[in-house]
Amino acid sequence: MMLPAVGFVAVMVIFPFGYALWLSLLDYKIGQTLTFVGIGNYKALLADEQFWNGLRLTFILYAGALVLQLVLGVALGLLLHRLETLKGLIRTVMVSPFMLPPVVVGMMSIVVLDPSMGVANYLLKSAGLPTSLFLASTDFVIFTVIMIDTWQWAPFVALIILGGLQSLPTRVYEAAAIDGAVGWRQFVYITLPLLGPTILTAAVLRSVDLLRFFDVIYITTQGGPGYATSTLNIYAYRKGFEFSDIGYASALMITLSTIVFGAVLVFAQLRRKVAW
Amino acid sequence: MRKSIAIWAAASAMVFAGGVAHAQAFNWKKNDGQTINLLLNNHPWSQAMRDMSGEFTAKTGIKVRVEIFNEEQFRARLTTMMQAKSTDFDVFMSLKFREGATYDKAGWYANLTPLLNSPASTSPDFNFNDFGEGLRKAETVNGKLVGLPINLEGPLFYWNKEIFKKCNVAEPMYLEELPEAAAKLKACPAKGDATVWAARGIRGAISYAVSGFIYNSGGDFATPDGKPGLCQPNSVKGAEMYANLLKDYGPPGAANHTFTQVIEMLGQGRLAMTHESSNEFANIVKFPGRAADIGVKVLPKGKASGISKPIVFGWGISVSNYSTKKDAAWYFLQWATSAEMEARLVKNGVAPPRSSVFNGPEFKAWTAELPIRQAWANSLIEISKTGTAISYPPTDRVIEARETVGGGVQKIFLGQAGAKDAMCQVDADLAKLQ
Repeated sequence: MMLPAVGFVAVMVIFPFGYALWLSLLDYKIGQTLTFVGIGNYKALLADEQFWNGLRLTFILYAGALVLQLVLGVALGLLLHRLETLKGLIRTVMVSPFMLPPVVVGMMSIVVLDPSMGVANYLLKSAGLPTSLFLASTDFVIFTVIMIDTWQWAPFVALIILGGLQSLPTRVYEAAAIDGAVGWRQFVYITLPLLGPTILTAAVLRSVDLLRFFDVIYITTQGGPGYATSTLNIYAYRKGFEFSDIGYASALMITLSTIVFGAVLVFAQLRRKVAW
Repeated sequence: MRKSIAIWAAASAMVFAGGVAHAQAFNWKKNDGQTINLLLNNHPWSQAMRDMSGEFTAKTGIKVRVEIFNEEQFRARLTTMMQAKSTDFDVFMSLKFREGATYDKAGWYANLTPLLNSPASTSPDFNFNDFGEGLRKAETVNGKLVGLPINLEGPLFYWNKEIFKKCNVAEPMYLEELPEAAAKLKACPAKGDATVWAARGIRGAISYAVSGFIYNSGGDFATPDGKPGLCQPNSVKGAEMYANLLKDYGPPGAANHTFTQVIEMLGQGRLAMTHESSNEFANIVKFPGRAADIGVKVLPKGKASGISKPIVFGWGISVSNYSTKKDAAWYFLQWATSAEMEARLVKNGVAPPRSSVFNGPEFKAWTAELPIRQAWANSLIEISKTGTAISYPPTDRVIEARETVGGGVQKIFLGQAGAKDAMCQVDADLAKLQ
């Protein structure tokens, strides 16, 4: 009975990962002789300014978007939980951003946020407000990307939180009310701890997505302006598909995969600690 | 008896010889019933092929499936499929100056020389020598024909004559007059909300557009001894002019712009001047009013250097070495690059690589219909005579080299480095690729 599952894991997970690991040990450029270099590509990573830039941006994007999405997601989840009227309609509207394909989100972002042709600056100008460079500013383009992702995925976190809220035991709240814990105190000392496992589940799901975030950046900025959105994923893609440096790109991807596994492990441990 | 045997033998020999001759005769229906797959870059030529491929099917019985992607996605898909030695597609577009050597070393191109030389596979009226010599050479790598040219293109200088007229600014005749004209236009209220200058600002696309500035300023991508030459004073001068035009007169967000944004602005009449691809001519004049108020010519030569050295090259179509239908694919190549097809493709803005078409009555009549068409055709003739395909320093890693050059120019217009520092750093980075 185990055999199909083991076979599936071997073919779909172990083989691709093992193959990428093998490629990362080679100097493998399309059209050139293939050479085994051991950990040579990994050593080169340490001296590569673009790698460190990519790593920094990956973490900024990850931390910024995760915190924002969890905070907003919890707030929206609580709001939805209390909503009495138009529940169905509002939930449907909230679901719509994360139902959109990333390509559509990317194209919409260009149409809205392009500094010279976008709608956003037109509206700001019409209202007499200062315009912004949005996706074209080397200083805050990464924050624009964080905002785009948060717009799309905070509602997803909210729906997970809503599910968690609906499954919380009511007797705990009754007991808390008898003891005088209401409002903010009830939220901090009852709701939040009880929601811990749900929040961490949402954090794991978003972590995996955020660390391998690619589509929207590729469509809107292709890693620019300059290298201001050249996250590890974008950098690896360019190395592999544009510069045909398969070995080095594989080393970048193995490094990123390790980071993703690490983040998942940390959250899984935390989840165990807050389980009730 | 002997006589009858001899007659029989002679008759058999004649029938056999006739049979061989028949087998070797070219027949457009030879591959009837096959299906070929095309992987193409988004380009006026590809769009026309998608619309006209039914005619090829009617002529040959070969069905055609066309996949068109934007250039980055097209290249990513091509690389993935080729790495997997996929037989799923048969024909693909390729820029030989950019990737010819790499793809050939990787064994991705089918050798078309035997097919070209085979009377059974090549139509008698397919006149290969009708393609310009430079274009034929460009499609030949290590002595093998690896593709057929489909167009001729290069960046040209476009300007909105109406905006220039309103602001009383003269048409720039020398490269050095571009910043002067830009300054006057910027100060001119009559231009309304039009942007003065726009050009490619995305790192990977800059090299194509900045090359003319570097050459016309007297610079070069290489030093006389074959080393990267972007740090040479005149190269710095050219790169700096390109970057400063974008920085001082370009639209906000230029660092994310490529031809799509530039052409949109020019087409809408919201741009005074640019240096963009000759391919985009048809798209520009599709916008109402642009055929009348846009001017087009080769980038003005340098006043100090006296040099005009534009970029010129052509896309080609090749057959995948992993294709199992190479003969059918070669039939498509012949049909798509035939003189008859090229004459029709001109109307889609595809500059013909065949001399007979470029000098033919149909093309001449078409260009004579509108002055702007004539100006476009004259520009193409000029760049084909004076141009070069070299928009990168000497290296086999052309794509990375072009990206490095673009990165340096971006640093200048984003204000991250001075021109000399940025371009000297480019040389240092390029030296690692040599």
